Amino acid sequence: MKLLAASEFSLEDLTAAYNQTRTDYLIPMPMNPNRLHEYMVLYDVDLQRSCVAVEDRAIVGLGMLGLRPHEGWITRLGVLPEGRRRGVGSAMMDRLIGYSLAENATTMWLEVIKGNDPAHSLFLKYNFQPTRELIVARRPPRTMRSVSSILAARKINYLQHEEVIDLHCSRTERMNWLNAVATMNNVRRITAKTIDDDEQDPVHEVPHLSGIRVEFQNGTEGWVSYQATTLQLKRISVEVLHGDSTQVTADLLGIMHRLHGTQDAIVENIPDDDEWQGFIKAGYFEVFRRIEMALDLSSFDR
Amino acid sequence: MKTILQIEDNFANKRLVERVLEPHGYHLLHAADGQTGIDLAFQELPDLILLDMGLPDMDGQTLVSVLRESTELALTPIVALTAWPQEIAGEMAIRYGCNGCITKPIDVNDFPAQIARYFDV
Repeated sequence: MKLLAASEFSLEDLTAAYNQTRTDYLIPMPMNPNRLHEYMVLYDVDLQRSCVAVEDRAIVGLGMLGLRPHEGWITRLGVLPEGRRRGVGSAMMDRLIGYSLAENATTMWLEVIKGNDPAHSLFLKYNFQPTRELIVARRPPRTMRSVSSILAARKINYLQHEEVIDLHCSRTERMNWLNAVATMNNVRRITAKTIDDDEQDPVHEVPHLSGIRVEFQNGTEGWVSYQATTLQLKRISVEVLHGDSTQVTADLLGIMHRLHGTQDAIVENIPDDDEWQGFIKAGYFEVFRRIEMALDLSSFDR
Repeated sequence: MKTILQIEDNFANKRLVERVLEPHGYHLLHAADGQTGIDLAFQELPDLILLDMGLPDMDGQTLVSVLRESTELALTPIVALTAWPQEIAGEMAIRYGCNGCITKPIDVNDFPAQIARYFDV
């Protein structure tokens, strides 16, 4: 078995390999090449520092590495059924940690779906430590049609992409890799990637981030940002500035869903805290949990 | 003859469902991704939709939302067919307006009767 840089493979090959690693996964979430491309752009996946395990010319494993200043993020790590229990996963972990050290990362992050015990055990073996549980939740369209949130609002400011980014930069809580400022910034890069160089026309318009900042009649205040595609609201983030976290979160989401009543909604990797209770009040339900894990690289030899 | 639209990206799963259901007199249509599934659903107006919740181009939940928003397919039985754990898949299916949920791997002996029940309602 040898490890090759993922950049040596086509997006189609990587997508097929990824899908095969997930055929018997706890929560199978297949992708197509467009989705994988978007994923790589959003989360700063570096294909030259991601690896593909190959045996007899066949792909048996895949591991991707996201890189941001001082941080690495292991993702899409998986081994095809025929490659399991033969050290493929460990070999890819060694390689990805090595790349992160070479890039002067001081911390590595990853998430594992709660209940995926083999993967969790592998990461513990590499001294990754659990930091928190994160929730993936959804809300079908037209779950609630209350107007109370709108009526409770005193002032609603509609925010453009740059204003949303500014608000994200002011957040004090540590965000998960998926919801970090760098991810939100990258939403614009997805749009840029879809411009046809020859025609200079958008091939497929991917919406930027939108947001609303709301002052309520009772003095509470907060904002919610999101990416509104035709069918789905995603990359939803809420920040409560004044007032009860649960109620203000629910009110902000209530207004957002009033504005986007027909879209399905997904929120990924949010902590189990008071704001999550606000999501529940707004009609969201938990689908599954991920365990966020971190590896401190500061004491490693480089 | 009842028409079933199967939206499923895994070819082996698709063939298995065909082999199990076709002898029972169903006409099966197939879409390998969500967008094709939506197009076929509106074009053919099937009697039942078997939907894999994990599709490569869009989430199955989003697809159900689209179908349920329409007047043409609002009442068409949609059955989620998924490898997700039952406790997750079951609630997901109900919340999104599916008529039921069958977890993979399917029981080939029981599957035709499971499907027939949705036509009896």
